[in-house]
Amino acid sequence: MHKLKTTFLLGAALLISLTACEEDFIGRDPVYSIDSENYFNTPPDYENALIAAYDLLQPTYLNVLLGEIASDNTLAGGESANDVIGFQQVDDMIHTPVNDQVGNIWDWMFAGVNRATFILEFQDKIDFDGKAQIIAEARFLRAYYNFELVKWFGPIPIKPEARFALGDENSIPRSPVSEVYALIESDLMAAIPDLAATAPQVGRVPKAAAQALLGKAYLYQENYTSAAQVLQEVIQSGNYMLEEDFDGIFEPAGENGPGSIFEVQYSDAEGAGFGCLQCSEGNIAVGFNGIRNYSGPVFDGGFSFNVPVQEAYDAFEPGDSRRDVSILDIEAWADETGATYGTGYEHTGYYNRKYIARKGDTNIGDQNLTNPNNYRAIRYADVLLMAAEALNATGNDEQAREYLNMVRRRAFGDEDHDISASGDALRDFILAERRLELVGEGHRFFDLVRTGRAAAEIDGFTAGKNEVFPVPFEEIQFSGGNWEQNPNY
Amino acid sequence: MYKILCLLVLLGTGFSLTAQSFDVTGIITDAESGDPLIGASVIVASGPGDGNVRGTVTDLDGSFTITDLTAGAELRISYTGYAPTTVTVENSDPLTIELGSDVQALDEVVVIGYGTQTKRNVTGAVSTVDSETITDLKPQKIEQALQGTVAGVNVTTQSGAPGAGLNIRIRGVSTNGQNAPLVIIDGYQGDLSTVNPADIETITVLKDAQAAVYGTVGANGVILITTKTGEKNQPTRISYNAYVGTQESSRSLDLLNATEYALLLNESYAAGGQALPYPNATNLGAGTDYQDQVFGNAPIMSHDLTASGGSDRITYSIGGSYLDQEGIIGGDKSAFTRATGRVSLGVDLASRLKLSTNLIYTYLERNSLSENGLGSVLFNALNTPPTLPVTDENGDFTLVPNTPGLGIEVINPAAQIANTYNDYNLNKLNGQATLDWNLIDDLTLTGRVGFNTSNSESRVFNPLISYGGKVFDVTRSSVNQNGINDNNYSIDLFGTYDRQFGEAHQVTATVGTTIFRELGNGLFATGYDVPNNNVEFADISLATGTSPEGARDVSSYSYDERRLSYFGRVQYNYNERYFASAMLRRDASTKFGPQNRSALFPSFTAGVIVLDENTLADNSAIDLLKLRVSYGILGNDQILNNGYIGTLSGEATYVFDGVLVNGTAIGALPNPALQWEEAKKFNAGFDLNLLDYKLSVVADYFINTRDNLLISNIPVSGIVGTAAPGSAAPTVNAGAVRNRGLELALNYRERLNSDWRINLNYNFTTLDNEVLEVNNGTGFIEGGGFGVGQLAPSRMEVGLPIGYFYGYKTDGIFQTADDVEGAPSQIALGAEAQPGDLRYVDTNGDGVIDPDDRTYLGDPISDMTMGFNAQVSFRRFDFTAYAFASLGGEIVRNYERALSDVNRLDYYLQRWTGPGSTNEVPRVTNAATANRVFSDFYVEDGSFLRLQTVTLGYTLPLTIGSRDNSSLRLYFSGNNLLTLSDYLGYDPAASSGAPIGSGIDFGFYPIARSFLVGANLSL
Repeated sequence: MHKLKTTFLLGAALLISLTACEEDFIGRDPVYSIDSENYFNTPPDYENALIAAYDLLQPTYLNVLLGEIASDNTLAGGESANDVIGFQQVDDMIHTPVNDQVGNIWDWMFAGVNRATFILEFQDKIDFDGKAQIIAEARFLRAYYNFELVKWFGPIPIKPEARFALGDENSIPRSPVSEVYALIESDLMAAIPDLAATAPQVGRVPKAAAQALLGKAYLYQENYTSAAQVLQEVIQSGNYMLEEDFDGIFEPAGENGPGSIFEVQYSDAEGAGFGCLQCSEGNIAVGFNGIRNYSGPVFDGGFSFNVPVQEAYDAFEPGDSRRDVSILDIEAWADETGATYGTGYEHTGYYNRKYIARKGDTNIGDQNLTNPNNYRAIRYADVLLMAAEALNATGNDEQAREYLNMVRRRAFGDEDHDISASGDALRDFILAERRLELVGEGHRFFDLVRTGRAAAEIDGFTAGKNEVFPVPFEEIQFSGGNWEQNPNY
Repeated sequence: MYKILCLLVLLGTGFSLTAQSFDVTGIITDAESGDPLIGASVIVASGPGDGNVRGTVTDLDGSFTITDLTAGAELRISYTGYAPTTVTVENSDPLTIELGSDVQALDEVVVIGYGTQTKRNVTGAVSTVDSETITDLKPQKIEQALQGTVAGVNVTTQSGAPGAGLNIRIRGVSTNGQNAPLVIIDGYQGDLSTVNPADIETITVLKDAQAAVYGTVGANGVILITTKTGEKNQPTRISYNAYVGTQESSRSLDLLNATEYALLLNESYAAGGQALPYPNATNLGAGTDYQDQVFGNAPIMSHDLTASGGSDRITYSIGGSYLDQEGIIGGDKSAFTRATGRVSLGVDLASRLKLSTNLIYTYLERNSLSENGLGSVLFNALNTPPTLPVTDENGDFTLVPNTPGLGIEVINPAAQIANTYNDYNLNKLNGQATLDWNLIDDLTLTGRVGFNTSNSESRVFNPLISYGGKVFDVTRSSVNQNGINDNNYSIDLFGTYDRQFGEAHQVTATVGTTIFRELGNGLFATGYDVPNNNVEFADISLATGTSPEGARDVSSYSYDERRLSYFGRVQYNYNERYFASAMLRRDASTKFGPQNRSALFPSFTAGVIVLDENTLADNSAIDLLKLRVSYGILGNDQILNNGYIGTLSGEATYVFDGVLVNGTAIGALPNPALQWEEAKKFNAGFDLNLLDYKLSVVADYFINTRDNLLISNIPVSGIVGTAAPGSAAPTVNAGAVRNRGLELALNYRERLNSDWRINLNYNFTTLDNEVLEVNNGTGFIEGGGFGVGQLAPSRMEVGLPIGYFYGYKTDGIFQTADDVEGAPSQIALGAEAQPGDLRYVDTNGDGVIDPDDRTYLGDPISDMTMGFNAQVSFRRFDFTAYAFASLGGEIVRNYERALSDVNRLDYYLQRWTGPGSTNEVPRVTNAATANRVFSDFYVEDGSFLRLQTVTLGYTLPLTIGSRDNSSLRLYFSGNNLLTLSDYLGYDPAASSGAPIGSGIDFGFYPIARSFLVGANLSL
């Protein structure tokens, strides 16, 4: 029995010593990983985090594509009536809070907000030369994402000081649009002094981009005086000009050109899949817009979504060089070149020529998801037209006409098509010009909404409802009553 | 080891020469019938120190002769199905030895984890599969031996491709996460998928709270594998088993032939108001059946060789095996090869100190094709138009045209096979060493070290290829290579105290600790521009190109996960009639957050033998009745690593100055409160033996409730940024699932006379699965995929089975325009209905058909599974048949590409063509319809009955040299001879195994039908 006792004692001693080891054994650090809450210790940490904040610009392909589909410029198209049902419903203005695509915009733009805020949250951790530029870029990016959100969804939750954390959906309210704009303005105004006039690298934010976005935010709030002022600063900086030839702007050689203030950069250097569209480095909208089953010169194929309607094609006056650059008449093209193509759902015979696939990229798989066409997010022509609109609203029609006619002279190659109207008539011309200049670039729907013309122009548009999109169904559920759905959804 | 053996043999020979010897003859008979028993084993069981092992088997008359015996020698006689006996021989008088029927059912020793128990004393729900069953079934992978043989265990194949994975589910799907059971091989954590079936002696399945001794890894049930060892005092036995055979597809689908296809296409185009694609369809004939182009006969071959035996202090078993199997699709493009070697050694180091150790080496090689997805080989075989020949006049593969009607995903499957190069191989070494120290009579200390170490490599060559403008075109050749190292070890230390107190009280107590650690890494790389676009040069060392600047061609991962456990168990029985046991295990694991680092898992079992030989009259039909009950709490820690800390593992790639730049971003959000899933398992059952133990009945009722389900990437508000590339929502304990069911296993075995023996088994399991909680805000989790760009078809939702199908209900076909007029609008599904279209049900009654009308359409979980196995032997002939059935599960037909010009199954010949023509199959049309949305039109009954194996064997006695206990068995065997099912697709038994999204058939690689001829040689 003595032996037994000894054994038990030995056993007990062993167990106790093992327990003492538990902390050492189980409390191991994960191998080869960096703790997200213990970062920002060196300048490169900030630079690396900034790349992450830029990364979410690429998923804005969907904002452009779906924004265009929502407008009167295009139909959803695709393979069949059920192909990407979320697009089809938005096109027909029958979308509900259950819409994957609208949900993606919500999710992806908030992801961008959070990645930018991550840097701002830790902006005071260390100091180094060049930090101000990085912080300013992060502020611009947050403003850019928040502007998308407020455009699409109206009131949204905001949390300026830190990233959203789980549970915030239950406590942080949806701020009124005015407060969201106030945050956008303050981020941009803080960024502008620290941003270089010429960005340190192609693809990064120059000062003018922040000014232009600020002007646009003012315009959306109908704060025309401020809009005119800041937009004119861009124009008067002399750093930008209208490209001579409208034809070249949307070709690969035209990327990051003199008329481009801010471009979302895309690349065909990396593959992508449908499992994570937001992970693609390519412009997915380009493949989605592409010509169905195309075989022929110049262009590559795609999924035939977002097809321009006849009415958009016909909106161009004779002699407007922009028509055939902006909209491809596929039947005429096929006749001319011998190209073949298929007809998808809602085939109109037209394609969004600005953003369909060009031959010559590397076609890394899935080639429809990896087109390298940059999105010209803020063009000088857009700034001119916004400035014209703001100036017209503040009574400076002369300057407004000047900017409008700069755009028109390039389009027609002469001064015979100059506009000489003023007042409300001039405003109508400016808005009409926006459609023609910017068709296919995702602006039209929001221009119609902010000018109160959407219900008149868009089939199925319900005033008092469709000005904004519904907050995703799940988000309303997650908020546990904290957020209300947008009216009439 | 051989040296030791030789030495012992020499020693033994020396001893046997020292006494006077004589010969003895005898006859062995059945005690009941008096019939002689052929092939019974007679072993001279010598005293300690005598290593000389001798023996023989009885001949056709049941008689035997043993020479050179000394007075007092013991003969041990054994024969399968009879109780073994030992007789002492004093002189050379002829012996008559009668063997009685075996009541082995109760004496059989069952492994229960950190110990063993006799079957009589078992109080948990425990099932076993023995090596005989494995021999009968001849599985290529051991998981197959559990299908239909064990109540409560369901095995599904992920694919019929050689070497493909199988999913084992013990008592249903309990979690949206990992449902695979824990596998313990000879006491250490192992992996079932690489085991050579011929190495296995028994498989034990712990189905209830009995598994709680494995704590936080036991919730999905535990499979205990015991590998073969030698037996003491046995001469060397050599067994060699081999078979060769041929495999073919068990099914081909009825597709339209070229003429039917063309006519149907014409009708479809006409209905869409378009020109006829085949204005003249008269000379098309049957065209190409692309299934014939991809399926072929494939050889299979297996060999294994084992030598085993033992002296009085040493046991050994040495074996090797080789399996070579080609695929019925693509031949060697989907081939599987496995070679294994094994050494097992047991040594009594001292009278109280025993060492047992074994080591297994495994080599696997597997090639694979694209399977079960859009663009898989079978998907293409079903969708490629039959009007296209396989090759053109130049002998090149025909390209499937890039037209709207054929899309950009359907390619020539024959070309696809020819251009696929996927190789995988694995080297693995696993083994254990166990030291049992019988410290004092009642107390044994056991120490064990077990390990697995493996490295695998895979290589995928993507040749430069054009399929004619399809998404599978490759414009730049590349080779992807990876190397993965996985290692783990476990160290067990436990003591077992086993003592009888007084007459009636028996106590067994076990206390111990287990350390488990797994660590490994993976390295992945890609090289571009393979020289000559040729697989011979497909290695990164030869590839000359890289991705453009900034794109990463390499990646890696590492892990180091640990678990520290303490456990205790007390088993008590009173008079071998009343049984109780209690277990407690404490686990600390790196998988859990700092707030919940360790957990306690208690359980108990109890049993009572209500009726047995002591309480029953001799002539009672009932022999034994035992009631059992168990309850316990177990855990599941099979979740992502490091889910409790936030790491910068996200993706951050953008383009500056025209090249890709990479940064750092937040990965999955952490959940510091992360903890194990908790399984509450209740089981009540009885064991009943009848008719002199010929009939046994085991019945169990179980309720398993799994709480705190670890829902990874749980849907959370998008504002926290989890949709960013490489990010994910946290893993949260937020769900509950309950499985309830009934299991019944019947076994009837009888020796009718000396010629006939039968052994019949039947088992069934019912399963009722219900999700109890999904606390993620929406109340459901979606998964799976149907068609292209459609809403997710599978859901986990409270009140319904996990992974149920969620879509539109149909109510026949619109026959007339009036029908359409009177029905709710279907425009929200994409097109207004026309006569001939599917009529969807307005389930919510709001007057329109929209996504809110989606509802329950069935689920992939079988309501009942059953197995039926029969073994009959007549003299030297043996016959076995195994069948398995699954009833009440649904399966989704998703291998039809929703495009106008693809081929179709021939049920479309019965399509709607006018009012009254059919109410089943909708019209064909090129115009927009809502007929392709996920509805019950695509959900089929997946019930089936499958005849898995039928074998007929004949055993020849052999005399080789002086040994006459050898035998040679020859057999013919057919596998998967017959599957009865209404399912239109290839294989109703196939499943991806995903808890949410299984049962969706993109064209599963069907399981092969095989015909084998084989031999079992025993020397």
